[in-house]
Amino acid sequence: MERFTQSGNWGQLLYNRSPGSRAIGDNCSTTDLQAVGQLGTIALQPISRPTSNWGQLLYNRTQFAMQQTIALALKDLKLLLRDKLGAFFIIGFPILMGLFFGLVMGGQQSGRSGKMKVALVDLDQSPQSARFRESLGGTDGIELEAADEMAARESVRLGKRTGMVVVPKGYGETAGLIWLEQPEIGVGVDPSRTAEAAMLEGMIMQATASLIGDRFKEPLAFLPSIQTARESLLAETAPNPAVQLIAGGFFDQLENMVKSADQLQKSDAPAEGDTGSGGFEMNFAKIGRIDVTREVDAKSIEGQLGKRRSQWDISFPQAMLWGVLGSVAGFSLSIARERSQGTLMRLRSAPLSKLQILLGKALACFLTSVFVILFMTGLGLLIGMRPESYPKLAVAGLVTSFCFVGIMMTLSVLGKTEESVSGTGWAANMVMAMLGGAMIPVMFMPGFLQKLSVISPIRWAILLIEGAIWRGFSWGEMASAIAVLLAIGATGLAIGTVILSKRQD
Amino acid sequence: MPLGMDKISQRTANHDRTQAHFVQEYRPLITAQNIHKAWGKIVAVSDLSIEIRRGELFGLLGPNGAGKSTTIGMLIGLVAPDSGSVEMNGRPPTDLATRSKIGFAPQSLSLYGELTGAENLEFFGALYGLAGQTLRERVKWALQLAGLEDRSRHRVSTYSGGMKRRLNIAVALVHKPDMLLLDEPTVGVDPQSRNHIFQWIEQLNREGLTILYTTHYMEEAQRLCQRVAIIDGGKLMALDTVDSLITKHGGGSLAQGTVDYVPSGVSLPGNLREGQWRHETTTPLEEITRLTQAGVRFQTVQITRPDLESVFLSLTGKTLRD
Repeated sequence: MERFTQSGNWGQLLYNRSPGSRAIGDNCSTTDLQAVGQLGTIALQPISRPTSNWGQLLYNRTQFAMQQTIALALKDLKLLLRDKLGAFFIIGFPILMGLFFGLVMGGQQSGRSGKMKVALVDLDQSPQSARFRESLGGTDGIELEAADEMAARESVRLGKRTGMVVVPKGYGETAGLIWLEQPEIGVGVDPSRTAEAAMLEGMIMQATASLIGDRFKEPLAFLPSIQTARESLLAETAPNPAVQLIAGGFFDQLENMVKSADQLQKSDAPAEGDTGSGGFEMNFAKIGRIDVTREVDAKSIEGQLGKRRSQWDISFPQAMLWGVLGSVAGFSLSIARERSQGTLMRLRSAPLSKLQILLGKALACFLTSVFVILFMTGLGLLIGMRPESYPKLAVAGLVTSFCFVGIMMTLSVLGKTEESVSGTGWAANMVMAMLGGAMIPVMFMPGFLQKLSVISPIRWAILLIEGAIWRGFSWGEMASAIAVLLAIGATGLAIGTVILSKRQD
Repeated sequence: MPLGMDKISQRTANHDRTQAHFVQEYRPLITAQNIHKAWGKIVAVSDLSIEIRRGELFGLLGPNGAGKSTTIGMLIGLVAPDSGSVEMNGRPPTDLATRSKIGFAPQSLSLYGELTGAENLEFFGALYGLAGQTLRERVKWALQLAGLEDRSRHRVSTYSGGMKRRLNIAVALVHKPDMLLLDEPTVGVDPQSRNHIFQWIEQLNREGLTILYTTHYMEEAQRLCQRVAIIDGGKLMALDTVDSLITKHGGGSLAQGTVDYVPSGVSLPGNLREGQWRHETTTPLEEITRLTQAGVRFQTVQITRPDLESVFLSLTGKTLRD
């Protein structure tokens, strides 16, 4: 009876809180107590005097059971923290996966190839426009395709091409003649690809500059335009003979200068690499914007990727699931490990039910999974991930953790040895990961695999987390994934509990 | 290993003291009635009935595969008997409140190697409802008992075999149970640790703790236990005090010595080969006295009483079991 008089005893505290229970040490003998020990009020209730407050009794027993379950979970978490390799696979490995896939996704620029596809609409069909087309098409990083204006606009609208370039009618008359008004080149670019738009404009300027250089390489090509200018000026200044005389002299000298330059160029070929453009910089080209409205199929890869705001938006949900899988792998081994090191027998001889032992593991696994998701979210925020809805992300994290706790429970009791549980868990996790998009996002999979992926809880978990981070899911859209994950989790819990309770260890 | 005369005297003295103690406390704590358990077609325990008395140090002996583990499992509620019943204080051992009064130290070291000794004790104490100051006091007590105060903050994986074994028992005691089950508690420990464990067990039993002790070392059971049950093939072969078992099943004492001279006309009982004499008899002193008076001269003489091992081998045979 000494134990009942010890202050600070948890059982003592509960005992004192229980109405109708006798005072400690009130001549209660061991035999008239239902149980001896620090089991809380239930253990201290006299058999001969059943309490009328069964609700309180149940409450106390439940509270004690929770206390035990929490103790089990904290022990498992402590063991996890001391297992450095295990902790790496739960925290370190997902970080590496997240960063790796994030960098891969970022480098792919939403899955587009390195060359920019551009449609060229040549309304002029002149030698100069042909030169422009040739020069622009020869630029690195561009894939030029001729098209009519309608088809070009449609291809950009549907996302088949990054942009379109329209060479206006009459372009060849003044293109490259820098002292004359430059023709306006129309450029239309997919609005979601502003970076490429700037690159395209730079390429157009470069192509126009080369056109100017070409003009200077062939001075005689200026003669028709000089002749046109002379005729135009003479017609305008016909009433004034003095002006006509001066202007006529100017144009004569200009034509002589061009011819002399031509003869000089033929007698003294330019050095290699000298384009003749003289190295000066001017606004060679006049560029006008063509407004292109972009329409993307929401179900297409591009349509899906178009919603994301960071390259980490896809890789970090994947990484979170790797962390959750690490947690599942670690804790599913836990029961087998308890069995092999003999502690399961000691746990089972303690005043615990099998369900409590399992729930202790489940709680530890759940807390670890939640922690991993929180940690990866924090890391993602640091490097640019911006979840659209934190409440939805919280729900997604909790539901995902619950689901995988259920899976852990089933895996943990499928085998009796650490080796068999480890092998089963590894195989199950890899299949779930491969099909579910933890390795390659589901959207990049062939159609039949995308359909098959519905059997993997990882697919639903990633979809749910992505829905909260960047897919902009409504609660209604999240509901189906939540239901699937909750159902899997509950089934897993039930299977694990039934198998463990039937097993004689 | 046969005990010498001095050991016999010591054991007898211990028994006189402890027998008096357990007779005073004579009340059943655990009662197993006709328990039966089969694993498939293999019968592990057959119609076994035993009663462990309050304050008793009870030995459960048997060769490998005799059914000891299954019996222990049923006694503490880990294994459900196919038939029969087990009660502790009138309640089934599956009752969680009943379990809270049992301390169990399994044969395998059931400890978390990556936790410290103190953490192991704190964890298991918490499972039994200990908390706060009480938990701290009990952990401190258990560490002192195990002689591990200095290593309490070291991980168990760094402990020696003896330290682990002592901690294994301390964990079973941290919640101050009424009943302690020790399954082969001295396997693989050095003589110092073993002696330390014996001293604990005797001390705890003197303080009133009921102990069920299983072992393969017969001298341990003979030294510690007041009553012993020997089971084989799942059946109870014998159950009594150590002395009664020896008297009933131990056979005669062994008289042996080196003989210097045997007068003509005197016949030595037993075997005499190259001067070494061996003779099993229930009256060794009388026999030696008679032979000496007849002129037989002994260089050395030794009388070995039968011990528990003799009883064990007599009841279970000498056939290998593994």
